[in-house]
Amino acid sequence: MILPLDIILIVFTVICAIAAIQIKDLLSAVIILGAFSFFMCLLYAQMGAVDVAFTEACVGAGVGTVFFIAAVNKTKRRAKD
Amino acid sequence: MKVFVLIMLLMTGGLLAYGVKDFPGWSNPNAPASTHVSPRYIQAAYTKTHTPNIVTAVLADYRGYDTLGETVVIFTAGMGVILMLRKKRRNKGKDNV
Amino acid sequence: MFEYIVSKFNYWAYICLMMIGLYAMIVKGNLVKKLIGMNIFQVSIILFYVSVGAKSGGATVPILTAEDIHHAHAHVLANPLQYMNPLPHVLMLTAIVVGIATTGVALAIIIMIYNRYKTLEEDEILVIRKESGV
Repeated sequence: MILPLDIILIVFTVICAIAAIQIKDLLSAVIILGAFSFFMCLLYAQMGAVDVAFTEACVGAGVGTVFFIAAVNKTKRRAKD
Repeated sequence: MKVFVLIMLLMTGGLLAYGVKDFPGWSNPNAPASTHVSPRYIQAAYTKTHTPNIVTAVLADYRGYDTLGETVVIFTAGMGVILMLRKKRRNKGKDNV
Repeated sequence: MFEYIVSKFNYWAYICLMMIGLYAMIVKGNLVKKLIGMNIFQVSIILFYVSVGAKSGGATVPILTAEDIHHAHAHVLANPLQYMNPLPHVLMLTAIVVGIATTGVALAIIIMIYNRYKTLEEDEILVIRKESGV
């Protein structure tokens, strides 16, 4: 429960979210979404939710990113917007 | 279209912010969410389940059927993914023949 | 006023992330971008619930200390102010795993759509569907 750390992490998550939806290259967007998940995981750990933090780290950031990369690999990498 | 969506988002965000106005402050130990039932779980979890980790005690012991239902959901999702991707491959093979 | 904003900072952050996700789901034409927006939306709700469970004033992770386990054997109750609220954490564990299952199914559907229409843009798919008279 450290307020400055909380504010810094939240600013990073918001920046990552905006970058993930604005970048036109889908592979980059997916990797940034993984970074977003890791920042979120740090945020949960900072709020004392360690179980949620490690579930998010291995399931949200790990497996989710792998699924997304596999799907982008099977389809197109360029997005129009 | 974009302007309309932005107006709609501002209205939704405004409604949510109006709802946050009545919330107790973040990490307030006397908030209703922390004083209503959760003290009972914290105090009784070890004597009832003999698990030091309260989260897993509630997840696997108090809410065991909930976790079973979650497993069913994941199983259904995995089955759906397998069926969708496999059917596509078989159609492709037929087209090639 | 400043204190009011700082005391509910996590709630403003969750509203902000939720609006970013909703914007991506409505405006972006690419289907993978829509899915990324849905993920951000889900994570914002998980952030909200975990924020509700936080407690300040010396509270730690919801795992009983050796001292409290010793006390429990002697039927002395633990102090609830020492531990975070565990119930939102339990609900969110379920929500994260179910969210990933939904994402997997959605990605499989996206792959099927790409195999049929050879594009992931929403407007191009609509044009193809109109031309083929569906």
